[in-house]
Amino acid sequence: MAMTKTQRRRIATVVRYGVLSLWALVAFFPIYWMVSTSFKPDNQWFSWPPVYFPSPPTLANYRNVWLGTEQYDVTQYAISSQKPLISMWNSTVIATTSTFLSVLFGSILAYGVSRYRILSEARMFQLLMLRMIPPIVVVAPLSLYYSALGLLDSRTGLILIYFLTTLPYAVWMTKSFIDEVPREIEQAAEILGASRWRTVFEIVLPLIRSGLVATFLFILILTWSEYLLALIITKTQVTTLPIELSKYQGTTEGRVYGRQAALAVGITVPLMIVGLIIRKHLARGFSFGMVRR
Amino acid sequence: MARIELMGLSKSFGALAAVKNVNLAIEDGEFVVLVGPSGCGKTTTLRMVAGFEDPTAGEIRIDGCVVNDVEPRDRGLGMVFQTHALFPHKTVRQNIEFGLRMKGMPADARAKRVREVTEMVRIAHLLDKMPHQCSGGESQRVALARTLVTNPSTFLLDEPLSSLDAKLRRELRAECDRLHEALKRTFIYVTHDQEEAMTLADRIVVMRSGEVVQIGSPMQIYSDPVNYFVADFFGSPSMNLIGGEIVQAGAAPRFRAAGFAIGLPARFKAAPAGAATLGIRPEHVGLARDGGGDVELPVRLVEPLGRDTLLYFDAGTERPFVAVSEGLDMAGVKVGAPLRLNFDPRRLYVFGADGNRINEA
Repeated sequence: MAMTKTQRRRIATVVRYGVLSLWALVAFFPIYWMVSTSFKPDNQWFSWPPVYFPSPPTLANYRNVWLGTEQYDVTQYAISSQKPLISMWNSTVIATTSTFLSVLFGSILAYGVSRYRILSEARMFQLLMLRMIPPIVVVAPLSLYYSALGLLDSRTGLILIYFLTTLPYAVWMTKSFIDEVPREIEQAAEILGASRWRTVFEIVLPLIRSGLVATFLFILILTWSEYLLALIITKTQVTTLPIELSKYQGTTEGRVYGRQAALAVGITVPLMIVGLIIRKHLARGFSFGMVRR
Repeated sequence: MARIELMGLSKSFGALAAVKNVNLAIEDGEFVVLVGPSGCGKTTTLRMVAGFEDPTAGEIRIDGCVVNDVEPRDRGLGMVFQTHALFPHKTVRQNIEFGLRMKGMPADARAKRVREVTEMVRIAHLLDKMPHQCSGGESQRVALARTLVTNPSTFLLDEPLSSLDAKLRRELRAECDRLHEALKRTFIYVTHDQEEAMTLADRIVVMRSGEVVQIGSPMQIYSDPVNYFVADFFGSPSMNLIGGEIVQAGAAPRFRAAGFAIGLPARFKAAPAGAATLGIRPEHVGLARDGGGDVELPVRLVEPLGRDTLLYFDAGTERPFVAVSEGLDMAGVKVGAPLRLNFDPRRLYVFGADGNRINEA
């Protein structure tokens, strides 16, 4: 008997959801594993067959990583040199400052590109192509410069390099938003007596604030999780969270999965919170065309 | 007070000459309308006056001072844009007081001035709304108020009504007229709508392909067009323009078209023979009921409009030949029926092959 239209539709729905659920399972498993491991006592980190649900769940990993309290677990790992809270502070300062600078200067540059064509199409592409150079290539000259300038192992050094390396993204993203702002709105402000800077800060930037927020988050994610440059530039004084995270897999410490997972959760959560706070802007920022004509 | 002079004003965008050698003096308090089809250079001319475009050649003077190098904000002008260009993230009140804030006026004086202006254009009830909550007509009033508030010497209006529907357009047209009367400022108004130009202007500047074609009062433009283009552009329904030729045979010149031939008045006796266009406005075509008349044409379509009736005839030309008959007397005429028509001889225009009016003796 032939299927009715309704039956066919129902089967299609089941298949669709089945495939997507399966994929979601594959995609989210590592995240689940990270969260689950962070609550496991150390004898369950490597156990076979794997332990899917920590039993009993423990906060020992979190206490050890974030508060530095001593552990009375079966195996002992002393990781005294690490200071995740300080790294968290470093990461926060470095990522937000560099992202802020990048979006601020990026949007002003983008304004120039959009309105005064200070960069041709070709130059704009070259700007983006700078990002196609693998960072590892420039690491050696960069560390020479930095050591000469005394910027090694400093927050300023990292802020500067993050600011510069993310600037092309900021210019590209904010330019697309500025292009959407009708010229006449600016000219209306101009003829009413506003200076160019005033027009930019009072009219143009507020109009594209959703786009600026979206750009900010995008770049924040990049700077927050950057590893390679931080590894080279920082030594002992300034470490960021990704560097901190890597220390839990080492020749001296061994593989401290539980604590690494506890730290990883702590690195992920702030970004998720930021994302949630600004989600209203994100939806609008990424959908463009937010300026009503 | 503002007298605005454009002297040899030209603007090119690359190879495209948008405005070519425009010379125009606009008197203080005058309402001048720049009119023409799209791409004729009228908006570019206005934007040069505003200071948003730099002239390629020529001078702009305001009260005798050359302002080519003066920033838009220092020219003492106000501008209303086609898109209204309200600041979408500011309330109506913030929009209106923006210009005053830029001038550094204190808050209480600002509030007073905003109140005055909003009463003048009747939008006091909108002050706390956002622009997107306003209708098209309301937005346009807000845009007017925002311009009015700074008390500019000259108002530049760039097709301010083109985004509105017909009824609102008429309403705001009257508003513009009233404001001009009340403020006694110079108005430069750009439009492609000949009706707007006719009703608003003290003087009309007709432009085409970057050049000024004719300058004159609405009546001059309407009844004394310098060429085919102006004759065709103004008037609704537009002037009947019939291609044909002038035949100089014997004493009186005649005009011969595909569908008919008529004798021209004696004032055309010096007109050169050859290809030409005959023009007569629909309201100057009369119906001859007693068998007289100049020509006989078959009716193609009857449009009763109430106050009068439009009759479309087949004159052997691409465009129908139109006559206006008062009232509904002719509404019952059968399509296809031949009617005899009188052409008012005082209102006949003849245009030469180059489009220019043929001089009358």
